[in-house]
Amino acid sequence: MTQQDTIQLGGGELSLWGKIKLTIARRTEGRGVALLAIILTVALLTEPLVFTAYQVTLGRIALIGLVALGLTAVILMGQLDLSVASTLAASGVVLAIIPDLTLGIIAALLTGLLVGAINAFGVAIIGINSFIWTLGMLFFLRGVALVISNEAPVKLTNADAGIAFGQPLIGPITPRILIFILVFIAIQVFVSRVKMGREFYAVGGNPQAAKDAGIPVKRRIFTGFMISGFVSALAGVINTLERTAADPIAGSTVLLASFAAAIIGGNYLKGGRGSIVGTLIGAGALGVLQVTLTLSGVQVPVQQIFIGLVLLLAVTTDPNNLRAVLSSIRSARSSRVKVQKPASEPNKSTAS
Amino acid sequence: MAAVVEAKNITKAFGGVKAVDDVTVSVEAGEIHAVVGENGAGKSTLMRILSGIEFPDSGQVMVEGKEIENSAKDSIDAGISLVHQELSLVPEMTVAENIYLGGFPTSAGFTKRKEMKKFAQETLDEIGVQVDIDERISRLSVALRQFVEIARAIARKPKVLILDEPTASLTPAETDYLLSMLERLAKQGLAIIYISHRIPEVFRLCHNVTILRDGKLVYVSEIKKTTPQEVINQMVGRELKLDLESRRDAKPGDVVLSAVGIKAPGVNDVDLEVRAGEIVGLGGLVGAGRTELIRAIIGADNKTAGNVHITVDGKRQQITSYMSAMRNGVAYVPEERRVDGLAMTMSVTDNVYLPNRKDLAASGVINPAKAAKVAKELADRVGLRPPEIKREAGQYSGGNQQKIVIAKWLHKRPSFVVLDEPTRGVDVGAKAEIHRLVKELADQGTAVLVVSSDLPELLELSDVIHVVRDGKIMGTLDGAKADEKQVMGLAAGEKLVEA
Amino acid sequence: MSKNEPITQINAMAQAPEEQPKQKSRRGVEWFAENGIFVFTAVLILSAAIFVDGFASLQNITDVFHRAAPIGIVAVGMTFVVISGNYLDLSVVAQVATAAVIMIAVSNEYGYFAAVLAAMLAALIYAIVNGVAVGYFKANAVIVTLSTTYVGLGLLRLLSGGSIFFGPPDGALAQFGAGKLGPVPYSALVLVAMTLILAFVLNRTNFGFTVRSFGINERATRLGGTNTGLVIIGAFLVTSLSAMIAGFVLAAFSNTAVSAMSTGYDFQALAAIIVGGTSVFGGKGSVLRTLLGVIFVSVLSNVLVLLNIGFGYQQMALGVLIALAVTVDALARRAGKK
Repeated sequence: MTQQDTIQLGGGELSLWGKIKLTIARRTEGRGVALLAIILTVALLTEPLVFTAYQVTLGRIALIGLVALGLTAVILMGQLDLSVASTLAASGVVLAIIPDLTLGIIAALLTGLLVGAINAFGVAIIGINSFIWTLGMLFFLRGVALVISNEAPVKLTNADAGIAFGQPLIGPITPRILIFILVFIAIQVFVSRVKMGREFYAVGGNPQAAKDAGIPVKRRIFTGFMISGFVSALAGVINTLERTAADPIAGSTVLLASFAAAIIGGNYLKGGRGSIVGTLIGAGALGVLQVTLTLSGVQVPVQQIFIGLVLLLAVTTDPNNLRAVLSSIRSARSSRVKVQKPASEPNKSTAS
Repeated sequence: MAAVVEAKNITKAFGGVKAVDDVTVSVEAGEIHAVVGENGAGKSTLMRILSGIEFPDSGQVMVEGKEIENSAKDSIDAGISLVHQELSLVPEMTVAENIYLGGFPTSAGFTKRKEMKKFAQETLDEIGVQVDIDERISRLSVALRQFVEIARAIARKPKVLILDEPTASLTPAETDYLLSMLERLAKQGLAIIYISHRIPEVFRLCHNVTILRDGKLVYVSEIKKTTPQEVINQMVGRELKLDLESRRDAKPGDVVLSAVGIKAPGVNDVDLEVRAGEIVGLGGLVGAGRTELIRAIIGADNKTAGNVHITVDGKRQQITSYMSAMRNGVAYVPEERRVDGLAMTMSVTDNVYLPNRKDLAASGVINPAKAAKVAKELADRVGLRPPEIKREAGQYSGGNQQKIVIAKWLHKRPSFVVLDEPTRGVDVGAKAEIHRLVKELADQGTAVLVVSSDLPELLELSDVIHVVRDGKIMGTLDGAKADEKQVMGLAAGEKLVEA
Repeated sequence: MSKNEPITQINAMAQAPEEQPKQKSRRGVEWFAENGIFVFTAVLILSAAIFVDGFASLQNITDVFHRAAPIGIVAVGMTFVVISGNYLDLSVVAQVATAAVIMIAVSNEYGYFAAVLAAMLAALIYAIVNGVAVGYFKANAVIVTLSTTYVGLGLLRLLSGGSIFFGPPDGALAQFGAGKLGPVPYSALVLVAMTLILAFVLNRTNFGFTVRSFGINERATRLGGTNTGLVIIGAFLVTSLSAMIAGFVLAAFSNTAVSAMSTGYDFQALAAIIVGGTSVFGGKGSVLRTLLGVIFVSVLSNVLVLLNIGFGYQQMALGVLIALAVTVDALARRAGKK
């Protein structure tokens, strides 16, 4: 047989620079890294304290980032979970109203799992758009938190445990930061190494292909929402312990910041593209931004404006959307560019 | 030698029409068996039945003498692997992961990445495709994705491999490689079913050929004992009862549409002209780039290069966007009327109103009586049945829905009308009426461009036929003299047969 | 042509004849989705009048109107965004408060005309930012409006210094806020007028037509010669202008304005729209139905207040109400498809 034995289509040997470029092109975190770089530079120039007080900064990143990590699992499947902040508040109150600490933590975490399961039920079984369904859950849970707390902050019975919880373990690492790191590692391993987690990308990227390949799509959606619910509840537990009290209307900026972190970190809202590392980078950028603003003595509303702008920027500069916008602009312009052909030549392609 | 796979007396109907009618095909180990036919001849349905995606109404599928239950999983387990015509890969996963999608090797839930990569690499080596297995699919060319699809099918260690138009998106060199790869696989004992319109490929590659026409098996032969001409004749097959009475006398006027150097995804540098009172037909096979071409011309999709001009009443206007096309009297009857043509839950009146609203209500305030009057007139003109303009469009049959789509544009007296597969899924009566409407438009001096995969329709309507393949015009025929074989020959990649 | 559409399916469609025209059988769930709200509103009002002490009093009815008016005005406006298939505009919370604060703060200094101009400018900015991001950049409306809510509230708090603004007690605004026609406060008349105007815009103008048709079939609407980006901006503009008027009404009623005064309006308006029978999937719905939904939701929360049921339970009730309404809508769609 004279035919060639292999066919090479792209790829091939690359120079070191080529390899670096390839690695960058393959990643989805570009925008997050750019934002982080800008914010770090500005922080370095204006508020170097951000880096000296790294314990504060780390704590802030962990606060924003934890909920965002769970949220990312849902976004990877092309769904949204708007109920994360209310889950945080409600589970925090659940912990505070139960006198026994261990029992309280277990009950709070179960609350998160239950919320996740109900969210998934609405989305996967009834077939309702996840934005609307979880928005309903957002308000329902806010109501639940208010009802079980009697509409006032609840003090933690075992306040000593809470105070102990706030202390650093090793160096600057408080339990909150440690838990954040552990959750990051767990979810990162889950979506990159575990079969079930990897399949989240398939569910979000091409649901029909996922179904055809025998992936139980509905079950994956349940898993994703339950991860999100559980992690939000965990964040609620940490908040309550650190503050030794639970606020039923806690976490209103958490919703905004966690979405901003996940989306600027390169997680595509329609699913299938993104990474947990991206979310971490996004949370890092927002955390440093917040601490810088706080240290500069800027008022709280200004912080809200900044985070809101980051989210608006993140959602409008998604590469896929931008590409479509740019291509239609280019198409309109291409018509105005002269083609290398005589434009008026009758009977050219019409056979007669 | 016994057949590896055998489809016996398969019949499958969709709502009364038999898509596949009592078809029997059997393929032996090491055999490459071509299944050919026109668009809509039933090839894809037959393959979907073989691979367990569709269930036949009657008949059975046997693999090595054992009947298989009809489910996708059973088919795969029994050794039938289908390479989809549409791409069913996950864009953001790596090549290796896509090859093993749904069946990652695991231990305790963790993917064994080394093992998976090793297997994937072995599979790719086996078919001789060099690609970085860690690359994400979204960053690969369409051709490369096609090869990954094939690798995925091969990785299941099938006994039978089914390929549905695998070369549609490949360059000649890539096609060449794919064919030699399939020859090699067949030599190792794989049974291959090869679905294609492309006659030269079939003759180079296959041992036997089965021809379907209108769902029925019409011809089986060894390749050695037949000729390309014979295959094309059998594909087209029907008695040529070209009714010359039904053709109209064209009196083409001035050039209305002129498109020069059009480039777009799937379209490769096309020039096109349509004159007033002329019907130009675009022939070719599904996926040849005709829809992409017309959408690029009228600005419905973005083009990457080219100029389009419309001349109305001596004024030559450039078309830069779909809006400017509409302003200059372009009317577009799209291919997928349910998606692009009609708002299914709106009434006939509302659907007709949509493109005419600026004419019917210059102030912006709707006059329902006027809108209803216009809708009624148009419904009568296109012969909508029943002519109840308050009914939702979705409650009409396909033929009537298509009439509504056409009616939408008649009020404006368009200067240039583009129709994409105007009678697909339409019953015979409505088809004749739609043909009458199209001819009537041309007789009134409108420039008409028709895309059709229905050869008799193309021949009946067109004054000039351009045959498109691979995004290019491969040949131009005089509509009055052309026959089906010439069109099919050009479309399928054979040389122009001397008439 | 859609690139995602499996080609084999198209082939199959080509062979398969069109499915039979849908029979007009009214399945239970479809009837329920269409007309349930009429029954529920009637039952709710009747039973409240009979069983709840103080509901049927003149004072209470005026009170219901007062509370319903600003939320209702927001809801009838936001119906445009929902019908266009873009879920909702969360930023109405910020917009109502902005309009109210501008109305009182600016009119105290420069008079009503300047205040209205300034508020309109703010509404226009909201509409353009939301509309461009959603209509041209194809960004998710929920996330876009979530972010503009925070940016807007942040700006408002920053500029207002978080303080409360009071209008002059005998000012025209305060008089309007206290004015009544029988038991019906002027604010409720504004709601009715807005409903009628917007119903006209939605049903009888070309703009309203394209909003509806966009919600049903975006691609067919574009191919019908519509600048769809402008339609989206228009839908957001209607919402923004309504939120502005709601802000005026709210400011007039209390004669004070503060940045936190419209908390929860997003959700109550959405509840009214969905309960009224406008589909969150877009395309289906009407402004008059939203008015009905507003009545239902307002009466319900009034009854809960009268029965001394806490704010938390009210929130829960709204959440459940939305869940039920969208479930019925989703099931009706599914039944309709079969």
